[in-house]
Amino acid sequence: MPDWILSPSEVVRAFATALGTGDLLPHVVASLARAIPGFVLGTVVGVALGLVAGVSRVADLMLSPSVFLSYPVPKIIVLPLVMVWFGIGDISKVVIIALACFYPAFINAYYGARSTRAILVWSALNMGARPIDLFRKVVVPSALPMILSGVRVALALSFILLFAAEMVGARSGLGYLIKQSENSLRFDLMYVSIITIAVLGSLGDALLRLLGRRLVRWREGRA
Amino acid sequence: MRRLLPIVLPGLALLAWEVTARSGSISRIVCPSLFAIARELGTFAIRSDHLTEAWISLYRALAGFAVAAVVGVPLGLALGRSPSAARLVEPLLSATYPIPKIALFPIFVFALGIGSLSKVSLVFLECLYPIVINAAQGARAVNRVVVWSARNMGASPIQILGKVVLPAAAPAVFAGFRVALPVALIVVIITEMIGSADGLGYFVMGALADLRTDRLLAAVVVTAALGWALDGLVVGSRARLIFWEQHETYFN
Repeated sequence: MPDWILSPSEVVRAFATALGTGDLLPHVVASLARAIPGFVLGTVVGVALGLVAGVSRVADLMLSPSVFLSYPVPKIIVLPLVMVWFGIGDISKVVIIALACFYPAFINAYYGARSTRAILVWSALNMGARPIDLFRKVVVPSALPMILSGVRVALALSFILLFAAEMVGARSGLGYLIKQSENSLRFDLMYVSIITIAVLGSLGDALLRLLGRRLVRWREGRA
Repeated sequence: MRRLLPIVLPGLALLAWEVTARSGSISRIVCPSLFAIARELGTFAIRSDHLTEAWISLYRALAGFAVAAVVGVPLGLALGRSPSAARLVEPLLSATYPIPKIALFPIFVFALGIGSLSKVSLVFLECLYPIVINAAQGARAVNRVVVWSARNMGASPIQILGKVVLPAAAPAVFAGFRVALPVALIVVIITEMIGSADGLGYFVMGALADLRTDRLLAAVVVTAALGWALDGLVVGSRARLIFWEQHETYFN
């Protein structure tokens, strides 16, 4: 057996040790302190602009062509540029994560708003809804399922970007820990950090799905 | 006037960029002029060693994506149509779906080496999920009446799969492709940044180390072009293959 293969029991033991010695938790905190602000910033701005572009013709013409043009570009490629601009500290990681999260949030909110059924809008207008009511009570709820699936994609992307940014240039965080333990042939610690990233990813996704079920409770059938 | 709106924001951004670069108040390492970037782009287009880097990245992304499509579409359709297959595979799929597969890259490198194989395998793994999940959803959502009619007219299960389920699921399959292909490119670039001696990801890290921001931005433009080309490929073939289904919406 090559020595990079560990038995599950060895990994579990390494996990317990890493938790006890404090090898792991500071890196978890460092990673979350980068991922959460980036994710929140990117999705909030993306959803807000996407909804506005979805309902306003002028905003649509101003924003959508640029967003859709730059959408298929892998955002990670500008990481070196972001590092030149913002240094190799936390800010450059937050910026690159926010940038990557912006796109799925914007595009899903945009399509969600645009796919509002005409008959719902007509009914609301007929019942005397003001534009702000129309937006808050018709467009946003009807776009909500799509927004949530966009936010889920954004969360997955934020973990990928976090990992990449920390592997490329960081002094802390789970990505750094993986690289560091790989370099020093500490395969136990490498598996522990990989599993931690996996658990954090699943946990975040489960939280979002729970939130989604609460928010779109009126929807029939399976979500 | 309206036709000019799309170019207002990018135009202003480029103008601000060039004015900043020309003013000389900011180092050209931070903000190289657009002409310097264009010159590097020209160099990129005529130097065969630079073009090879782009080709290597493209090859890795397409290879992993193609294998994922060949494996993922039949698997997804099977999951969508057969409840027992779904019960067998779906728990595993939904448990591993939210895990960032990219974290497994070090293990892939130890198992498959630092070359293309580890990168293509990781691209395959990352692309497989969206393709399988979308194909399964598409196959599951096929209108029962259509399947009954086909069966009533004496279609065999294979014929139903090929002539009813596949066309009906095609929009969902393409939705999966459209998610997977940019992911393929992202994974390739990241893995090349982390551990590689070739490809665009390696190239930009080299440009960063040399503080050649102009060269770096030229590589960004080249990567962007790859992204557009791949996305255009998916959208174009989708438009040719799927030409039905329209919804009535308000904000159009």
